Formats: sequence, C-alpha cells, structure tokens
Amino acid sequence: MMPDLASGLMEVTPEIRGHLAGCVACAGKMEEFRQTMALLDEWKAPEPSPYFDVRLQARLREEMAKPQAGWLTWFRRPVLAAALTVLLGLGVGLFFTKGGGRYGSADNVVAVIDSTEPGTAVGDLQALEKNHDLYADFDLLDDLEVQHDVVANP
Amino acid sequence: MDPGALMAAMGPHPASSFQPAVAGEEGYTDAEVMLRVKAGDESAFDYLVQKYRRPLVSFMYRMARNTAAAEDLAQEVFLRVYRSRQTYEASAKFTTWLYRIATNLAVNHARDTRHERPEVTVSLDEPDEETGTTLDVPDSKSTAEEFLVRRERMLAIRAKVEALPERQKLAVIMHKYQQMDYKQIADVLKLSESATKSLLFRAYETLREQLKEFV
Repeated sequence: MMPDLASGLMEVTPEIRGHLAGCVACAGKMEEFRQTMALLDEWKAPEPSPYFDVRLQARLREEMAKPQAGWLTWFRRPVLAAALTVLLGLGVGLFFTKGGGRYGSADNVVAVIDSTEPGTAVGDLQALEKNHDLYADFDLLDDLEVQHDVVANP
Repeated sequence: MDPGALMAAMGPHPASSFQPAVAGEEGYTDAEVMLRVKAGDESAFDYLVQKYRRPLVSFMYRMARNTAAAEDLAQEVFLRVYRSRQTYEASAKFTTWLYRIATNLAVNHARDTRHERPEVTVSLDEPDEETGTTLDVPDSKSTAEEFLVRRERMLAIRAKVEALPERQKLAVIMHKYQQMDYKQIADVLKLSESATKSLLFRAYETLREQLKEFV
C-alpha cells in the first residue's frame, strides 16, 4: 500500500493523512518511499528505433515464406531422427531376441516354409498323412449311409 | 493471409485502416481485435503492433541488457503473436497473453546471457545503451560532474532492479514502468493478487534500502 501511496497510484484518504500526521515512523518511511519512487522514475526507456517496423516487416516476410510445418519436418530435426532410429532399432531387437510375435522365432519360420515344399521327405509324409485323413473321412461317409438306411426303413 | 497486403499495412509509418473505438464503448477490445487477426484481417495485426510496440520495447529494454536486444525481443513477441493467431482463444485479456509471451522470452534471454557483461558505452548523440538517456553535452547549467553523477545514479537504479529476484524484478517493471495493476501482474505471473502485492512490497522495500544513498 505504501509504495502505491508514494507513487500517487492510490489516493491518500483523510484517515491515512491523519495517521501519517501523528506517526513519525510511518511518515518517515512514506517520505523515503516517495523519494525511491521518484528516483526509479529517472530510469527512462528509449523509443523504438526508426528501423523497428522495417525489421519487423522483414521478419514477418521470412515467417510467411517458411513452408507450413508438416509431420515430415520432425525428421529434419537430427536429435529427433536419431532418437527415433534408436527406438526403432530397440523395438526390432526386442522382437527377435524375445522370440515374440505370432510367427515365433526365425528358425521356426524357416522350418515351416521347408516342410511345405513338395518333393521333400517331410512334404511326402505330410501328403500321406493328409491322404490317410481323407480315407478315414470316406469310411465315415459309408457309416453315415448305413445310418441313413436305418432311418429310411424303420 | 495475403503477405503483400500485410506488408502494405506494415509500412514504417502505416496508416492503419483498422480504427477500433475505445474498449468498453461500441468498439473492440484487444482480444476482439486479435480474433480479427485470426480471421485474416491484416490491418488488425498492424493496429496491435502500433499499439504495443512502444510498451514492449520499453519492457524488454528493462529486462534485457541493451536496446538492440530489446527491439529484437519485442519483434519476436509480435512474431509469436502472429504465429499463434490460428490457435488464439479470447479466454483471457489480450495484454495478459501478450505479456506472458514477453515475460517468457525475456526470462529465457536473461538466462541465456547472464554471463555476458553489458557494454558500458558513452555516446553524446545516441541514447545510452545502459540507461536509455541521451547524454547531452554539458552546458553552463549542467556541468560534466553533474552529468557523471546522473549517469552513475542511472546505472545504480538499473543494477539494483536487475539484482532483484526474477519475479520481483518482473513485478516492479510491470507495476512501475508498464503501469499494470495488481490483477494484471498477478495474471501474467500466475500468482494470487495478495501474493503479487506482497512480492511488490518486498521488492520496493529492498529498493528503498539499497537506493538510499542516491536519493
């Protein structure tokens, strides 16, 4: 409150004036604040230079000439690009070292691919296995026909 | 926004076609003017530049170490205002937003240059970088000694204000030199009004003590 009174930003009410008249300590402090505020007023700031607007124009022109920032601009920042590369590398490394993913490890993938090739021992055995399943299905169909006859002639 | 049109409006001494009336009457508040900038009104941006260039240069001058830096920083504030025009929301007073941008820039600049010593130059024709005053050639009324005493006093004021803790310094500059009220300062510094009053009282109390020898 006292700095505001001393700067004239606040009106000195009759009540305050009365107090200051009777209190030497407060009156003395108020006077000191008044002098300090007057001293601070001496610190003047310069006016903007005549070139201020011209420089601002140039900077605005540069600003407008800049291309709009798209998502690709992220890759132009070296630190971000490096961080992204490290993260990607870590992700790929973790994927393979933990054997994660729905396809299992790389070895298993190769084995599956090999086993499906025709002409190999494993491939022939798999074909035989499939044929065996097919013959079993035929037997099952025969059984169904017998059952059908039973139902047709009760 | 058409750059050509904005450039035309931003001449060295432009005659802005945008003439808002005084806020509170039938005209526009600064926040409303800013919304017109957002809508692409170039003359509205020019109006804001012309209105706030002087206060911002003055604010930056007292926060930075020299006039050139102050002008650079003030221009940067306007550039940031321009860049943010599309996302501007008139939820707070325009001056609060403007001074918050200015404060952030000034504080960052002060931190970046805190180890640099400001140049102490004496020029007879141009305003002094340190004190902002033109140093007149002593005449019959003003002796060289008076001139040096005045200069020393200016440097002391500046040094004492600069030595205040950051928030106190900002509050004093906004209160004493930008004529902002407690509420505005509180909003810019994100403090309560009572905390701002207390902050300012402590700052002025320190200055009263430290500048005693110069009064």
